[in-house]
Amino acid sequence: MGHGISEAIVDPIQRPDSPAIRLHNVDKRFGEHTVLDQVSLSVDPGQVLALIGPSGAGKSTLLRCINLLERPTGGTITVDGVTIEAGHTVSANELAKLRSRVGMVFQSFNLFPHMTALKNIALPQQRVLGRSKKEAEDRAHALLKRVGLADKAQQYPTRCSGGQQQRIAIARALALDPKVMLFDEPTSALDPEVGLEVLRVMRELADEGMTMAVVTHEMQFARNVSDHLVVMSQGRILEEGDPRQIFANPQQQRTREFLRAVLERE
Amino acid sequence: MTGIMDDFMTYQQELVNGLGVSISLALLTFALGLPGGLLLAVASFNRAKAVRILAVVFVEVGRGTPALVMLQLVYYGLPVTLTAFLSAAIALSLTTAAYTSEIIRGGLRGVPAGEIEAADALGLRAFHTMRDVVVPQGLRIALPPLLGFCIIMFQATTLAFTIAVPELMAQAKSIASSNFHYFNLFLIAGLLYALITIPASIFTDRVADKLARHT
Repeated sequence: MGHGISEAIVDPIQRPDSPAIRLHNVDKRFGEHTVLDQVSLSVDPGQVLALIGPSGAGKSTLLRCINLLERPTGGTITVDGVTIEAGHTVSANELAKLRSRVGMVFQSFNLFPHMTALKNIALPQQRVLGRSKKEAEDRAHALLKRVGLADKAQQYPTRCSGGQQQRIAIARALALDPKVMLFDEPTSALDPEVGLEVLRVMRELADEGMTMAVVTHEMQFARNVSDHLVVMSQGRILEEGDPRQIFANPQQQRTREFLRAVLERE
Repeated sequence: MTGIMDDFMTYQQELVNGLGVSISLALLTFALGLPGGLLLAVASFNRAKAVRILAVVFVEVGRGTPALVMLQLVYYGLPVTLTAFLSAAIALSLTTAAYTSEIIRGGLRGVPAGEIEAADALGLRAFHTMRDVVVPQGLRIALPPLLGFCIIMFQATTLAFTIAVPELMAQAKSIASSNFHYFNLFLIAGLLYALITIPASIFTDRVADKLARHT
């Protein structure tokens, strides 16, 4: 570290009262169509936020607004002290600053298929943080071990199972030392059994104090691992609060319907 | 038939030298033209509109101009004096760059959007995403049609005889116009070209098969 954009990554003073993620009145509209309608929420450092709700509710869009893969049309986004206001053009510097704080894991893994597992994890460190190859590979090996894939370093992604690929993708994101991890339906493309190994890694991450925002259909995970539950529908937050409380006693009719539908299936 | 064999034996030296010039011309054309095509393809994805427009104009002019016209233009038209061989290489490179940029562009477009999104989320700069993620995979996708195009360009080196490059076609023609065995000599020239292009086509098919199996 120590040159280029890595300077921006140096820890800002962590005030205990400042949330790790704060969204204020975030809007996303495509012409007449409203995907997100004035959504505000905040996640404290070390908290695990679970976002649930029927498909088309805007959960993924909201998550993707946090690292600006999706550009909100209104509102402000603050991640670890970096604030981006919607509606003005975001400079490359601002974008790099924001994304250096946020790791993301996708439903479809999105590993680079022409690189080994090791290189998938090492290369971004070299390019984004300016780490040496040696340093980056050491870190990659350590992370592969941590997600239980020490023996897969030289393997190409297509030779790995979906669950293994997703764990490599988690390691790739963690290698950049993010302050916040976003998970966009990380187990939806996996067999239930394979999904468990991914959920186990996520749970460990949560236990170690990582700040996480997870869009999920895994109700067990939402109920047992998350600290804060947000139920969305039609681009708005229906209700939010303590996961156990909401699961036990949802306040909104729509939440009741949704929970009944998904829980009866399990 | 013996006539053809006799002509070949008699003029073997000139004909084989001619083939050598054809191959060298083709290789120089690829060495200049293919990187040019890659550059134009990458430029067509540039964020700056001016760069994109410039690339598109270059490609369209390059593809719209027949290779023969390009050849005459570079050899007779440029205010600098270049050897016929170099002029031919430059002219054919321009054509190659223009056409292959479209082939490569298609390959680059074939790289899944999710990977580019992942690169964005990781914070990779546009240049690194292009160089490390998009180009290596895009070139792989584009490789079979690129090889096919190279075979066509090898054949297009025959056009260089119009500016007196001593390649195979020019040799055959010059020998034929002294002994009037036009049929024999052009047949021999054709066979010599086929000696290169047929194995090259087989190789291209093999590469395409191999790539198809491994993706």
